[in-house]
Amino acid sequence: MGGRVAERLRELGLELPPQHPPAGNYVAYVVSGRQIWVSGVGPTWGRELRGAGKIGREVGFDDGLAAARLTALNLLAHANHALDGDLDRIRRCVKVFGLVNAIPGYADAHLVVDAASGLLADVLGDQGRHARSVTVAPSLPMNITVELDAVFEFA
Amino acid sequence: MVAGRIDARLQELDIDLPDAPAPAANYVPFVISGNLVFVAGQIPFTGGEIKHKGKVGTDYSVAEGKDIARICALNIIAQVKAACGGDLDRVVRCVKLGGFVNCADDFTEHPEVVNGASDLMVEVFGDAGRHARFAVGSNALPRGVPVEVDAVFEIS
Repeated sequence: MGGRVAERLRELGLELPPQHPPAGNYVAYVVSGRQIWVSGVGPTWGRELRGAGKIGREVGFDDGLAAARLTALNLLAHANHALDGDLDRIRRCVKVFGLVNAIPGYADAHLVVDAASGLLADVLGDQGRHARSVTVAPSLPMNITVELDAVFEFA
Repeated sequence: MVAGRIDARLQELDIDLPDAPAPAANYVPFVISGNLVFVAGQIPFTGGEIKHKGKVGTDYSVAEGKDIARICALNIIAQVKAACGGDLDRVVRCVKLGGFVNCADDFTEHPEVVNGASDLMVEVFGDAGRHARFAVGSNALPRGVPVEVDAVFEIS
């Protein structure tokens, strides 16, 4: 993997996680026109789950931040695969949907997902700045701490 | 209208599409933007009625939840058919499904439930039915339904 974005990842000391098969009867992403629709991903490194637990119960805010960052890297890993390893083709991260597994009434979900949004902007620059919605999820598949999906536009 | 390839496939699968349900509030059941159809969240209407209310994992088993997700997906296909002016052969791809599962806070088998919707897309549309997806737990859904699914389709 070469290019400007790959160089930026190296600068930041970030590595894209290995891919693994989806958790159900779906695919990791679909390309439609100039858009990549990435499935909901979690804080995994290949098959290894590195961010499980509900914020406010088994894990804390900082665990949420780490989970959000790793989850964002998984979004980029899928986009990278869709673009045959050339993330420089990304024109824009269009939209991110952030789900935070937390106790009822948890009010800092937006700050947790900021860790993901910040990473996308750090890596992709202005093209990483996206529209977003965030919600607290009372439960998530496999009890992952954060789930994100995204739409990217590419050239 | 001459029955198309997908209509024939539905017949083969012995699937009778429901009438596309009217929206429950001040929104439209689908919007077409460019080549994409955005389908509003569909709940398990069967014969114009909601026969399933409650939570998966408490009121319904995972297998029952999966069947309920399939009913939501039938309603999605009905909406897409309406969006395509009745011609499901215009479907290029099921791009995306979003699955909401009404469940207890310690539930973790959302993917198995939402597979009920995903499986139907692949049965009906083949490779064009293979989609991106998210699944999430909810502690309350409109009208108390156990599953809600929304979708994005690409059409020609």
